[in-house]
Amino acid sequence: MKMTPALLIVGALMVFWASSFIIVGLPSLTMKDEPSDIWRQLTPDEQAGLRLYVQNGCSYCHSRYIRINDWDIGAERIAQSGDYVGQEPAILGTERTGPDLSQEGGEHPDDWHISHFNNPRFTSPISLMPSWKFLGAEKIRQLTAFVQAMGGKMADSRMKRQNHYKRAAIAAFEAGPDGNITWLHSQVPEVWRKMPNPYPATEASLLRGKRIYQDFCINCHGPIGDGQGMAALQTYPPPLNFTTLRRHLVENKYIGGIFYYQIMNGVTGTAMPYFKKHLESEKIWDLSNYLGVTFLGFTDANTDPRGIDAAYEEEWKNNYQAPELPGQPGK
Amino acid sequence: MTRYFKKPNSASLAFMVAGAVWFVVGAVYGMFSAIHLVSPEFLPEVAWLVFGRERPVHVNTMLYGFVGTMLIGCGLYCVPMLLRTRLWSEPLAWGGFVLWNLVILSGPLGFAFGYTQGREYSEYTWSADMLLMVAVTLIIINLIMTIVHRTEQQLYVSIWYFVAAFLWTAGNYPIGNVMWHPATGAMPGLIDSIFLWFWGHNLPGLFITPLATGAAYFVIPRVARTPLNSHTLSLLGFWLLVALYTHIGGHHVLQSPIPNWLKAVSIVDSVAMVVPVTIVVLNLWLTARQRGAVVWGDPAARLVMAGIVWYLITCIQGPVQSLPYLQRVTHFNNWTVGHAHIAMLGFGGYIALGAMYHILPMVTGRSVYSARLINLQFGLITFGLTGFFLVLTAAGLVQGTSWNNGETVYRVLPQLRPFMVSRAALGIFILTASIIGLINLIMTITHGRKLAPEELDQAEEGL
Repeated sequence: MKMTPALLIVGALMVFWASSFIIVGLPSLTMKDEPSDIWRQLTPDEQAGLRLYVQNGCSYCHSRYIRINDWDIGAERIAQSGDYVGQEPAILGTERTGPDLSQEGGEHPDDWHISHFNNPRFTSPISLMPSWKFLGAEKIRQLTAFVQAMGGKMADSRMKRQNHYKRAAIAAFEAGPDGNITWLHSQVPEVWRKMPNPYPATEASLLRGKRIYQDFCINCHGPIGDGQGMAALQTYPPPLNFTTLRRHLVENKYIGGIFYYQIMNGVTGTAMPYFKKHLESEKIWDLSNYLGVTFLGFTDANTDPRGIDAAYEEEWKNNYQAPELPGQPGK
Repeated sequence: MTRYFKKPNSASLAFMVAGAVWFVVGAVYGMFSAIHLVSPEFLPEVAWLVFGRERPVHVNTMLYGFVGTMLIGCGLYCVPMLLRTRLWSEPLAWGGFVLWNLVILSGPLGFAFGYTQGREYSEYTWSADMLLMVAVTLIIINLIMTIVHRTEQQLYVSIWYFVAAFLWTAGNYPIGNVMWHPATGAMPGLIDSIFLWFWGHNLPGLFITPLATGAAYFVIPRVARTPLNSHTLSLLGFWLLVALYTHIGGHHVLQSPIPNWLKAVSIVDSVAMVVPVTIVVLNLWLTARQRGAVVWGDPAARLVMAGIVWYLITCIQGPVQSLPYLQRVTHFNNWTVGHAHIAMLGFGGYIALGAMYHILPMVTGRSVYSARLINLQFGLITFGLTGFFLVLTAAGLVQGTSWNNGETVYRVLPQLRPFMVSRAALGIFILTASIIGLINLIMTITHGRKLAPEELDQAEEGL
């Protein structure tokens, strides 16, 4: 075959356009743009947030579709084609330096996002995201609105729950430290409240707990556990001051189960997220021992009721004394 | 001044110099991006240097600016030379040069301040898209008119590739950039991802690949001083490239809810790409058969040969990672970033640099200032890029396997630290190499030894 100019130009174009027709022409003719069950229209604010999301390159680190093999946030719903109707552009993303955001709406209340956008390390100490403070409060508000809409109607129902508990959490916080803790404890099921930490607070486990605290907790609850981390600037109610827990041990002896439950499940409505996707059992128990020993000077580790020791456990005796409270004898 | 714009090959040289400059600019932005993945608080509050804005500047400046521009420069020399004529209109090529570079300049000037359409590889705004289309059209006219005025009857392989690269881009670019939606440059809904990745993959596949393949087909036989191994293989490689490559963009969104038949087409054709790639690589290497010492001993041709090695690695890895089961681990993480770097810097970049150094004496009438600097640049890039590839691939496997086992993205971040530190360190080698290349190019133009007319004739006849 001899390549003549005519063959080159006409042939190259014909093969190209025939191939292109298959790969973009046919989908354009056949793909139906029908809303899925969770789809809803974006509000003008959310639309402005989408523009900011696109302009600032959020999509280079965040994807917007959940695959069948995903476990992280949003994994409750595999993406469907009808989730993106009308969004222009709905950039699906190619990388996850940060998590997928297709179901981010309602995972956190607004104040968490505002703090996170101002400086991502405030809420997430090891985040690699840039600070977006320079965008200014109004744009951060719009971005937050968009992020809270991701997930459509599913996000809306999560937001409804966040807002419901937000009111309760604020009321509790404004009732003072003791009222606040009483409310927080009441959010934990009865069986967890009277459950001591089943694992010994050995030096090694406390070091592990410290590492978790530094990677996850430190910029809200602060280096000394007083709830005055940087995120306290923007979150309301502010993060809990752990030291106030000292006078609120359940029956003046239990705190491990409450720590575990709140870390695992989070306190919906407040900036305290659930950590059960990030941390598995041992890490949470180690962290709760660390919180108790470091900020309360007390842990209920290995106290009764207790079952059989795990095979790895060394002989370990809990020498921590419960605080002396007026009218109540110390343990 | 106007005389300069009519001087033969002046536009070709301008494209090559611009490519070398964009290489430095792109590498600087890449360096900042790499640092930000180690230390996100580095230069905080500098709005135009946040990751989400600097990354597209890096990517687009490298793709269109360095590799694309430099290869266009090579093509503008090769095509008339192979047709034994002059470029039809030198001023027209300069027009293309100005428009093309304005588009690339709109990256650092625009993206950094939020003027972007945000879709990967299609970030340029509509007005920049228009400029790019005009530039491509001007180049097409110039190339076709050059063919019309040729004195050599036969069209050599390189010409097919150079001409077709622009013909295809003229069709690809407006579709992928959805230019009939000027405000967003996107289709509404999920179908946008199909348009996006149509261009997203055709940019490397039907723009950079034909330009680089054409340049390699030009350099290797000349340095080896042998005729091309096989005309039939050239034909097969060329036609299979366009028949298959056009289809494979869907593998970027393989696990998204796009139609299944589209996924099947993307995967099948991705795997089939092994065929044209192997054909091209074999054809070039068989041309250099028994001339290995000459080809690998020539500083410019060594870059081209190494580029072909990267091409082979890229295009074996590419089909493999298009397989859905493997993508569960390799998608969404640094594995893909590693792949993109060996494709663009390894394949496209090496061949662009090699062809540029090979052509430079003919275009400037001066011998390259320093062969040792070419070798140094080769060594630095090769060390940097090989390290990059290994580090990013390993990081990607750590991320992908961890996620697949149920770890969250956030939990895996600490595991990335050593990889991100190494990658930033390796980036210094690539940045240094880009600066050395620019210095060598400028020194050639200003201080290179002037070639006597008979030396120049000899150079044009082949080394």
